[in-house]
Amino acid sequence: MSKKILIGVIAIVVVLSAYVFTTYNSLVKLSIDTDTQWKQVEVGYQRRFDLIPNLVESVKGIMKQETSVFTAIADARTKYAGASTPDAKAQAAGQVESALGRLLVITENYPQLKSSDTVQTLMSQLEGAENRISVERSRFNESARLYNLKVKQVPSSIIASMFGFEEKAYFEATAGSEVAPKVQF
Amino acid sequence: MKKVAALATLLFFLNASVILAYTSPGKPQGFVNDFADILTTQVEQDLELKLEQIKLSSSNEIAVVTIKSLEDETIDTYAVKLFEEWGIGNKEKDNGVLLLVAPIERKVRIEVGYGLEGVLTDAQSSSIVRNIILPDFKDGEMESGVISGVESIISVINEGADFASIDDTSVLGKGNTILDFLNQFPPFILVVVFGIAVNYLAKSKSWWLGGVWGGALGLVIGFITSSLLIGGSVGIVLVLFGLLIDYLASKGHINRNGRGWGGGWGGGSRGGGGGGSSFGGGSSGGGGSSGSW
Repeated sequence: MSKKILIGVIAIVVVLSAYVFTTYNSLVKLSIDTDTQWKQVEVGYQRRFDLIPNLVESVKGIMKQETSVFTAIADARTKYAGASTPDAKAQAAGQVESALGRLLVITENYPQLKSSDTVQTLMSQLEGAENRISVERSRFNESARLYNLKVKQVPSSIIASMFGFEEKAYFEATAGSEVAPKVQF
Repeated sequence: MKKVAALATLLFFLNASVILAYTSPGKPQGFVNDFADILTTQVEQDLELKLEQIKLSSSNEIAVVTIKSLEDETIDTYAVKLFEEWGIGNKEKDNGVLLLVAPIERKVRIEVGYGLEGVLTDAQSSSIVRNIILPDFKDGEMESGVISGVESIISVINEGADFASIDDTSVLGKGNTILDFLNQFPPFILVVVFGIAVNYLAKSKSWWLGGVWGGALGLVIGFITSSLLIGGSVGIVLVLFGLLIDYLASKGHINRNGRGWGGGWGGGSRGGGGGGSSFGGGSSGGGGSSGSW
């Protein structure tokens, strides 16, 4: 009889440890996936920043009186460069977005810019950069969601708290930046 | 057994994934999928043939898709999701391109896989859309717009044809291989455990213990795969199987090493990927360009 109890205990221990083991691993995997996805968002931001100097150069000459937009863009870029945490980066990126959005709206008022090939090419690149950012952001949110589900749901939440897995913040659009700047020529 | 099923059901609901808003147009039937029915059969076949040859010669996968409705998606997000669902392009090279046309909404998009972004840049796809596809579409010449669009894409990605420098050595996987290996609970571990179990069961007097073990193993598999289908069905099968093995083992019908039984285990590993897709599992990240007419 005692042998059977022993076997029962062993069976339970085996099942439990298998569960802890696989849950821990999947938490690690989901966490790394989310971090990787955040890097993809940053790659998108970087791509956008690399385009900005060219764009600004090519429209500055004609848009001489619109200095406030250019300073706003420059400020936001500096802020992004100085940001170290994902939160700060996301916030600075939001500022860049709204400044760029303003620039694009103003560009509409300059027909000579609309017909310029250089500007049009730059605009299509900027559009692509914005689209990539939004794709990678939504993928980031999706992988953060999967991770957070695992962290918060019973029973995996018990293992998550045992090993100190914490909830990850979603990317939330900063005020005014929900709508990607529309480029219409 | 009831408990196993109940637990498995519970697990299933805990792990059920949320269904996203995007609705798939269906499974891909080759490279050309004319869901909106704007191409004649002849044109479809010609394009299909051409795209097959492109894949054979360069491994690039170009998909042409026309859809009836974008539902509530923008063409940008729809293209990304369709690309993701079908996995256009080679998995390692991500060398897929999707030409998506939504004739009702009058929108078109070229979505470029990660691996081709350097060759088919946004500027290039934008110029293909604006200067080649849209003028035809504006004139109502849907077919010629699609054909010349595809031809332009081919000419761009074949001009810079030497992008094959991506090495194929990463086939074995990108993550921690030991963890992946253990996570998949390879059949041979099961065979070893099985052998030990039969050995023990043969010694024990009970006839039901094997059933308990089978159920426990089913539970473990259910936990690992997080699936009612696998966990539940495997659990039930294993309970019965365990009872049978224990019965036979206790009666001394099975050799104590249990060797004769090892071979049957191995078919249970989880198959990956969607069935019936002709694409290689490539991905894209919003590169490309859209236009409307």
